[in-house]
Amino acid sequence: MDKKRILVVDDDTAILRLLSTNLKARGYEVLTATDGEEALETVQKEYIDLIILDIMMPKVDGVQVCRHIREWSDIPIIILSARGDENDKVKCLELGADDYLTKPFGIAELMARINTAFRHRGDASVAPAQSSFTCDGLEINFAKRRVTVKGKEITLTPTEYALLQQLAVNSDKVLTHSMLLHSVWGNEYSSEKEYLRVFVGRLRRKLEPDPKNPRYIHTIPGVGYHLATS
Amino acid sequence: MKGKESILVVDDDLDFLKIIKRILENKNYEVDTAPSANEGTCRLKERFYNAAILDISLPDADGTELLSRCLDIHPDIVAIMLTGHSSVQNAVQSLNRGAFAYLEKPLDTETLLSVINRGLEKQRLVLENRSLMEELEQRNRITNTLLSVSQAVSESLDLQQIVDSSLEKVAYYTGIKASFIYLYENDRLVLKGTHGLSPRQSAQMAKEIQKDSGIIWRIFRQAKPIIIDDFTNLTDKNLEPLKKKTRQSFGGIPLSILGESIGVMGVVTSDTNHEMTDNNIELLTGIGREITIAVRNAQLYEAASSAKALQELDNMRTEFLANVSHELRTPLAVIKGSANSLLQSDVIFDESTRQYFLQSIDKDADTLTRLVDDLLMMSRLEAEALEVKRKLCKLSEVIETIQDRLDNLTVKHQLQVNIPDDLPSVNIDDIRIGQVLTNLVENAVKFSDDNTNIRIEAESNDKDIIVSVTDQGSGIPPEIHEKIFERFFQGNGSKAGRRKGTGLGLAICRGIIEAHGGKIWVESQPDQGARFTFSLPLN
Repeated sequence: MDKKRILVVDDDTAILRLLSTNLKARGYEVLTATDGEEALETVQKEYIDLIILDIMMPKVDGVQVCRHIREWSDIPIIILSARGDENDKVKCLELGADDYLTKPFGIAELMARINTAFRHRGDASVAPAQSSFTCDGLEINFAKRRVTVKGKEITLTPTEYALLQQLAVNSDKVLTHSMLLHSVWGNEYSSEKEYLRVFVGRLRRKLEPDPKNPRYIHTIPGVGYHLATS
Repeated sequence: MKGKESILVVDDDLDFLKIIKRILENKNYEVDTAPSANEGTCRLKERFYNAAILDISLPDADGTELLSRCLDIHPDIVAIMLTGHSSVQNAVQSLNRGAFAYLEKPLDTETLLSVINRGLEKQRLVLENRSLMEELEQRNRITNTLLSVSQAVSESLDLQQIVDSSLEKVAYYTGIKASFIYLYENDRLVLKGTHGLSPRQSAQMAKEIQKDSGIIWRIFRQAKPIIIDDFTNLTDKNLEPLKKKTRQSFGGIPLSILGESIGVMGVVTSDTNHEMTDNNIELLTGIGREITIAVRNAQLYEAASSAKALQELDNMRTEFLANVSHELRTPLAVIKGSANSLLQSDVIFDESTRQYFLQSIDKDADTLTRLVDDLLMMSRLEAEALEVKRKLCKLSEVIETIQDRLDNLTVKHQLQVNIPDDLPSVNIDDIRIGQVLTNLVENAVKFSDDNTNIRIEAESNDKDIIVSVTDQGSGIPPEIHEKIFERFFQGNGSKAGRRKGTGLGLAICRGIIEAHGGKIWVESQPDQGARFTFSLPLN
């Protein structure tokens, strides 16, 4: 199997080197960029499997990089930020980042999050037994990882897809916050409720005819979510 | 009800005068009589009469001549000429000259009274029309004046300019020469401007009027004008400087709008032409309202500007906190990440990589220490609690103690140190000055390319030693030469891959140098390098 390529973007060379050393030691191929502009150039030129992106950078900052990339690509993005502000976190997730890690961080934690991102990207083992799901205009073809609403194809990021798949496979069952966080992201995310809120919001904006009055994904306040077939 | 209407009768026939006086007084007129033209003229000069009954042939003058004098003195008087048969010609002439009517002797009482009645009726209409006209003109004048004042004072948002131009306009439009304005600030009235006062008077005016003291405060509190026709004998210490030996009137106009007072305008006049009539008070009150609006606008503008300045400071602080968080977390991330890497059991790193992780930990622990020092130093400077432990030392010794650190900083640059041997010793805190030099060199490194020169130089004159750090880096645009010494200020243009800093370095340098009684400044142009210089007094 080919090595997975990770682009690490940070304006601090010490961080860049720390990350490259660790990623390379774990079998990844690593590209680096020291500012947003360079990052965008690299993403356009090279094939990249995942991006680890710093927020505070000269020229084009991480938030803008994230926004630009999401305009044309669903490549997984893990934000690595020196700002611990909850608002920043939600903002980045809203913009389409898949994950958000605050500096300082543990190497094992970072590796786990990279694995989660790759898992969402289509590890065959998580594909469900059924081949498709249909509900009132929403169709999911699990084999092809293809989603359409009233015949129109919808582009989802891997994490969005993983969340939708989980809801669809368990349609009409209420899935609690912790069940969803555990099954879609992993054990270490059990307290990250805002991830769920943001990603459900992202899904609704892409799938629902009226995101404010959702037809498919319903909120059960204080408990969790369910995808209703009728 | 108005008083009686008055009639003057001039005739040389004294019996006639008596009879006619009685008849007219019976009809409730006020009657004076005069037996000659001269005496009649005197009476006319003394007071106003509504009507005059004049004999056309008087011993000392022709009746028509008296008529002319009479109309000169009182153009609105109802003049009735009395004639004999022979002088009808004269009577007609009199009508041409402005008499209201002529009557032939012997008089028919009914006819006389009816003529007087008609004459006075017509006069009442004329006078009423005229006063309406005058009032209209006065209104017009007030409106135009207010418009002009309003335009003049609303041209500026500068409080002082508004006050000065208001007083000038009051003088221009009302003729009142002496005036002043107090505005309310923090529970007292503050003198903001005077006009037409002598320098001595201006100097003696109370700069501030405390709460509940004197007439001016009362005008302010009640938001009602107060007029004092003659204040020579008044004892109010705030008006004392305005007094003269002659009689003067004072008018105090509240500067208020919608019941809210913001100050008081005072005017003083000794000129009887500019006495405080109702019209004047109304005009001044109107002007006061216009001034109030302009002052209010200026105050609101000032408040908004200072709110904006506070907002800017707040934004800088927020950015500072974000930067500090970033600056602390970045070396922490390196330290934790490096230590953490060594602790992972899934990967065994080779010896040189392990060494590299350890060095990273060591280096960034130092970075963190310096950062914490900077933050502490800044909070000491802000609390003005920076301790300067002075001792006499040589600059070259200061540089020796920081030489290792400077060498580390400038591994990719050429550092040149040029200190004359005969540079006098100076009384300084060597550690702090060492910090300043380190900071300046660190900045020079941050903002210039590898392999360029960084020079430390020094010279002295009678008063100071002058030390400079010069680089060949990206330079600093002139518009931020002052700003870069402000705390939290972040310049652009540091090279990618370098940490941004807290925006405190130069603020700390300035704090330290100023604590030594010296100055620090920069000379630079974009792309032409920068030269930071500081002076340290020899005494």
